Amino acid sequence: MNWMLPVMVFLPFAAALPAFLLGRRKGAASLQLMIGANLLVFALALALFLNTKGTASFAIPGFVGLGLNLTADGFRSLYALVAAFMWLMTSLFSPQYFEHGHALGRYSLFSLFTLGATLGVFLSDDLLTAFVFFEILSFTSYVWVIHEQTPQAMRAGQTYLAIAILGGMTMLMGLMMLYQRVGSLRFEALAQAAPTLGHDTLMLPGLLILAGFGAKAGMYPLHVWLPKAHPVAPAPASALLSGILTKVGVYGILVISTRLFFDDTVWGTLLLVLGLVNMVLGAVLALFSIDLKRTLACSSMSQIGFILFGVGCQALLGEHNALAAQGTVLHMLNHSLIKLVLFMAAGVVYLNTHSLNLNEIRGYGRRKPGLMLIFLTGAASISALPFFSGYASKTLLHEAIVEYFVHLLDLGHSALLYQAAEWLFVITGGLTFCYMIKLFVAIFVERHPSRQTSYDRMGRSMSPLSATALGLSALVLFALGLHPEGWLTSLATRSLPFLHAHEPAHAVHFLAWVNLSGGLKSLLLGVLLYPLARKWLMVRDEGGQLVYVNRWPAWLDLEDRLYRPLVSFLVRTGTLLCTPLDLIMDRFVFPAVSNSLTFISRVLESLVDGVSLLLMRTMLKPRYEKATLVPHGNRLTYALGRTADVLTGLIRRFFGMQPRGPYHYVRLYALIWDTAQDTMRRILRTLSFGLILFALGLVALLALLLLR
Amino acid sequence: MTLLLAIALPVALGALLPVFRLKTGNRNLYLMLATLLTSALCAYAIAVDIPALRLISLNNKLTITLRLDEQGKIFCALVAFLWPFAMLYAFNYMKDEHKQTSFFSFFLMSYGVTLGIAMSANLLTLYVFYEVLTLTTLPLVMHGGSQKSIRAGLKYLYYSLGGSAFAFIGLAYLVYFGGQTTFVPGGLFKGISLMHTQQLRLGYLLCFLGFSVKASVFPLHGWLPTAAVAPTPVTALLHAVAVVKSGVFAIIRVTYYSFGASVLAGSYAQYIPLALTTFTIVFGCTMALKEKHLKRRLAYSTVSNLSYILFGAMLLSAQGLTAGLMHLIFHALMKIVLFLAVGVYNKRANAYYVDQVRGLGTTLPLLGVVFTLSSLAMTGIPPLIGFISKWALAEAALLIGGPLPLMGVVALLISALLTGIYLMVPAVTMYTRPSQGNQLTPVEAGFKVTLATLSLVVLALSAYSIPLIDYLARTAAQAM
Repeated sequence: MNWMLPVMVFLPFAAALPAFLLGRRKGAASLQLMIGANLLVFALALALFLNTKGTASFAIPGFVGLGLNLTADGFRSLYALVAAFMWLMTSLFSPQYFEHGHALGRYSLFSLFTLGATLGVFLSDDLLTAFVFFEILSFTSYVWVIHEQTPQAMRAGQTYLAIAILGGMTMLMGLMMLYQRVGSLRFEALAQAAPTLGHDTLMLPGLLILAGFGAKAGMYPLHVWLPKAHPVAPAPASALLSGILTKVGVYGILVISTRLFFDDTVWGTLLLVLGLVNMVLGAVLALFSIDLKRTLACSSMSQIGFILFGVGCQALLGEHNALAAQGTVLHMLNHSLIKLVLFMAAGVVYLNTHSLNLNEIRGYGRRKPGLMLIFLTGAASISALPFFSGYASKTLLHEAIVEYFVHLLDLGHSALLYQAAEWLFVITGGLTFCYMIKLFVAIFVERHPSRQTSYDRMGRSMSPLSATALGLSALVLFALGLHPEGWLTSLATRSLPFLHAHEPAHAVHFLAWVNLSGGLKSLLLGVLLYPLARKWLMVRDEGGQLVYVNRWPAWLDLEDRLYRPLVSFLVRTGTLLCTPLDLIMDRFVFPAVSNSLTFISRVLESLVDGVSLLLMRTMLKPRYEKATLVPHGNRLTYALGRTADVLTGLIRRFFGMQPRGPYHYVRLYALIWDTAQDTMRRILRTLSFGLILFALGLVALLALLLLR
Repeated sequence: MTLLLAIALPVALGALLPVFRLKTGNRNLYLMLATLLTSALCAYAIAVDIPALRLISLNNKLTITLRLDEQGKIFCALVAFLWPFAMLYAFNYMKDEHKQTSFFSFFLMSYGVTLGIAMSANLLTLYVFYEVLTLTTLPLVMHGGSQKSIRAGLKYLYYSLGGSAFAFIGLAYLVYFGGQTTFVPGGLFKGISLMHTQQLRLGYLLCFLGFSVKASVFPLHGWLPTAAVAPTPVTALLHAVAVVKSGVFAIIRVTYYSFGASVLAGSYAQYIPLALTTFTIVFGCTMALKEKHLKRRLAYSTVSNLSYILFGAMLLSAQGLTAGLMHLIFHALMKIVLFLAVGVYNKRANAYYVDQVRGLGTTLPLLGVVFTLSSLAMTGIPPLIGFISKWALAEAALLIGGPLPLMGVVALLISALLTGIYLMVPAVTMYTRPSQGNQLTPVEAGFKVTLATLSLVVLALSAYSIPLIDYLARTAAQAM
C-alpha cells in the first residue's frame, strides 16, 4: 500500500478549495497557490517515477461500488510525471497570461480538480476507477472551456459537455456489459479473461468503451468538440486540454486494446482506419485554418490520429508489436510536450497582440529569437525533423506499419489497405510539415503590412516566469530528441510492460538510411506542397497585400449538420410521443369511464323513477273531488257549531254587542273538518306514506321478534 | 409504546396547534420541538428492538398493529432525518404566506401518519395510514387556495382514492388466500404449495396498480406534476420523500412481505410491473425535458426516479432490492435538495421557469453550488451517490438477464443521459450572465443551513456509504 499514490491524486482536490477562497480576494494569490500545489505534486510524481523498480499499489475497497485501485508501473508513473510537469509549466505561465483575467479562483479550483482526476485516471488499475475519474475530469474541464464566457465559448462548452455526457453514458453501458461478461474490471482480470471470452463477446462492449474514451481523445466521428473547445479556452488550459486530456482518452483506448484485443485483426484495422481519418482530416483542416489555436487544435486531432494508428498497429502485430508499442508511447509523450510548448507560445502571441488571426499576428515574432527558438522546437518536433523527438516516434510508427504489410505479403495475402495506409502516413507527415511551415512563416518571417514597427518595438514578450516555463518545456523536448537511442528509448522500454509488449528483437537505429529516407520523404513532400498551399490559401486584397484566406469548411461541420439536428429530432419525437400519453388518463380514460358510469346511473335512476311514476298513476292515483263552496261537515260539527253559536249569541246580547250570525261556528267547524279530511286523503295516497307504514310494520315486527 | 407515541405525538400536537394561539416565534419553537422529539423517539425505536404493539383488533385476522422491522427502520430513519430539515425550511418559506397555522398543523400531522406507514406490521395498518396520509396531505396541496391549487388537490384526491380501491382488492385477496395480512419476510406463501397462484398474481397486480398511484408509475402518475403547484416544503418533502416513497415502500412491502417473490417470480405479475416501470423511467425523463417550469420538471424527474426503485424491487432478487433501497434513500436526499433550492429561487428571485434562473449562480452562490452538486449526483456522475445506486441497479438487472431487465438497463442509461440534459441546462444557465442585474432579497440563514447540511450529507455518503449499503443488503437478503 503505497500512500504516495492517493496523496498525489487527492492533494490537488484538497488544495482546490483554499485556492478558490483565496481567489475571491485576490486572483493572483490563487494562481500562486496552484503553482505551489502543482510543484508539490510534481515532486511526488518525480519521486514515484524515479523509484519505481516494480509496481506500487494502493486500494480502497468498496469505494463507489467496486473499489478504488491505483497502481504505478513504468508507463503510468511516466505519464503521471508528464501530467504533473505539464500542469506545473502551464501554471507558471498563468500569472502572466491571466494578468488582467477574471474568475481566477474558479480557474484554479477546477484546474486542480482536473489535475487530481487526471492523475487518478493515469494511475488507475481498473476500468471503474478510471471511469470515475474520467467523468470527474470531463465535468471539471468544462469550466476551462467556458472560462472566457463569450458566446462562442458557451457554445463550444455546450458541445463539449454534450459529447462528454454522451460518451460517458455509452462507456458506462460498455463497462456494465464488460463487467457482466468478465466478472471484474481490473486490468489483469481483463487480460486473463480475454482469450477465453473471444472476440465476439468482447466486441460490443469494446466498441462502446472505445466511443467513450475516443470522444475524449478526439477520435472521428466524435471529434467535433476539439476544433471548437481548444481555441476558446485560455492558452494554458488549451495546452492541457490538447496535451493531456486527449491522452486520458488514449490511455483508456490503450487499456482495452492491449488487454481485450491484443492480437485482433478486426480491432486493429478499425483503429488503423479511424486513426487515418483523424490524421488526414486533422492535417487538412489545420492547413485551411487561419486561427493560430484552431490550427494547433486540428494538429492535435491529426497527431491523435497517429497515436491511434499506432494502437491499431499494436493490435495487428500481436506478439511482435514492440515497435508499434514504443512508437505509440513515444508519440503520446512527444505530442504532449509539443502541444505544451506550442500552445504556450500561442498564448504569448495572444497576450501581446490580442488576436489569434494569422493575418493580424503575422510578423509578430520577427525580432524575438527566444520565442522563435521555442516555437521552432515544437514545430520541428511535430514535423518529425531528424534530431527532434517527433522524428523518433514517427519513425517507429512508420516501421510498424511497414513491418505489418511486409508480414502480410510474406504470408501471401494482399496488403493493399495497409500499403495505402503507409502512403497516407507519409502524405500526412508532409501536410504536417506544410502547415507548420505556414505557421512559422506567418509569425516569424513575414512582415505585417501595418503593425510591424509596433510589433518590433514591443518589449519582452514573456515575463521571466513564463520564459522559464516555456524555455524549460522546450528544453526537455529538445533534449529528448537529440539522442533518441538514449532517453527516449529507455522511456519507451519502461512503458512496454503496461502495453503487454516485449522488448524489440533488435535496437532501432534512428539515423539509419532506411529510416531517414522515410522521414525525408515526408519533409520533401511538405516543402513541395508549401508553395502550392500558399498559392491557394492566400489572395491579394484591396491594398495589394497578400492575406490568408479562411478556407475553413464550415459546411462540413459534423456537429451542425448531423448531431444537433439528430438530437433535436429525437427529443422532439420523444416528447411528441410522450405528451399524449401523459394526458391519456386525464383526458381520455377518466372522462370515458366517468361518462359511461354516469350514463348507467342515470338509466337506473330513471328506472326507479319509472316504478314510482307507475304506482302514482295507477294504485295511488289521487281522486280530486270538486271543492264545494259550502262546507259539509257532519253531525258532530253541526252540533258543536250550533252550541257555540247559541252561546256566543247569548253572551253578545248580554254585553250589548251585535250578534254574529246564526251559522258562524257551524261553518267554521265544517270547514276545518273538510280540510282535514282532504289532507288526510292526500297523504294516505302517497308512496311515501306507504313506505312509512311498511317501515313501521317492519319495526313492529322486529320489536315483536326481539321482545319475545 | 414508543411506536404509538412516535405516531400519536405529532398527530396530536399538530391537531392541537390551532388551539394554542401562538406567536410565530413560539409556534416555530413548538413545531421544531415536536418534530425533534418525534425524530428522537424514532431514533430510539430504530436502535432498540421493540416488540409489536397491537392497537385494535377488528377480528382475529384483521388487526391494527405497529412494529418496526428492518425494512421499516430504513424508511423510518429516512423520514425522521429529513422532516426536521423540511420543518426548518418551511419556517422561513412560509413566513409571509397566509393560513400558516393550518399549514403547519397538517404538516406536522403528516409526519406522524408517514411514520405510521413505516411502522405498520401488517397490510391493513399500512392501508389505514395510507388513506389517512391522503387526507392529511390534501389540505397541504390545496394550500394555495387558487383554482389551480384546488384542482390539483382534487386530482390528487381522485387518483389516490381510485388507487386505494384497487389496493383494497389486493388486500382482500391476501386475507382470503393468506388468512392474515401480517408482513412476513419472504411473503405469506413462502414454502407453502399453492393452488391459487393465478388468482394471487391477479390480486397482486391489482394491488401494485393501486399503490402505484402514489408511487407515480405510468399511467397513474398524472397527479404528481399537477401537485407541484403546492408550496415548496410540501412538494419537497411530501412529493419527493414522504408520500411518493410511501407508495414505493408499500409496493416493496406487498411484493416481498405479503405476496412474496416465490409467487410472483417469472410470471406476468412480475413482467407487467417491470414493463411499466421501465417505460416510466424513460417517459418521466422525456416529459421532464420538455417541461420548462422548474418544479414540474423536478416532479417528472421524481416520476422517473421512483420507477428506478420499483424496477430494482421488481427484479425480485436480493441485489435488485438492495439497489432499489439504495436509490430510495439517495434519491430522497438529492431530490429534496433540488426542490428546496428551487423553492428559494421561486420565493426570493421570482424564478419559476428555466430561463429565469439566468445569473442566479453568481448572485446566490451557495444555492448554485448546491443545485449543481445535486444535479450532478442525480445524473449519475461518479463518485456521487446517484452513480452508486444506478450502477447497483444495472448490475442487479444484468445478473438476472433476460429481455426485460436488459431493456431496463438501456432505459437507465437513456434516462441518465436525459437527466444530464434537463438538469445541467438550468445548472449552466445559472452561471450565464443575465441581461440585467438581479435585485434580490438576501437568503435567510435557515435556507442556507438546511441546504448546506443536506449537501454535506450527500457528499459524505458519496465518499463512504459502505455500512449503509451493507445494512440494506442484509435487509434485502432477509426479505427474500
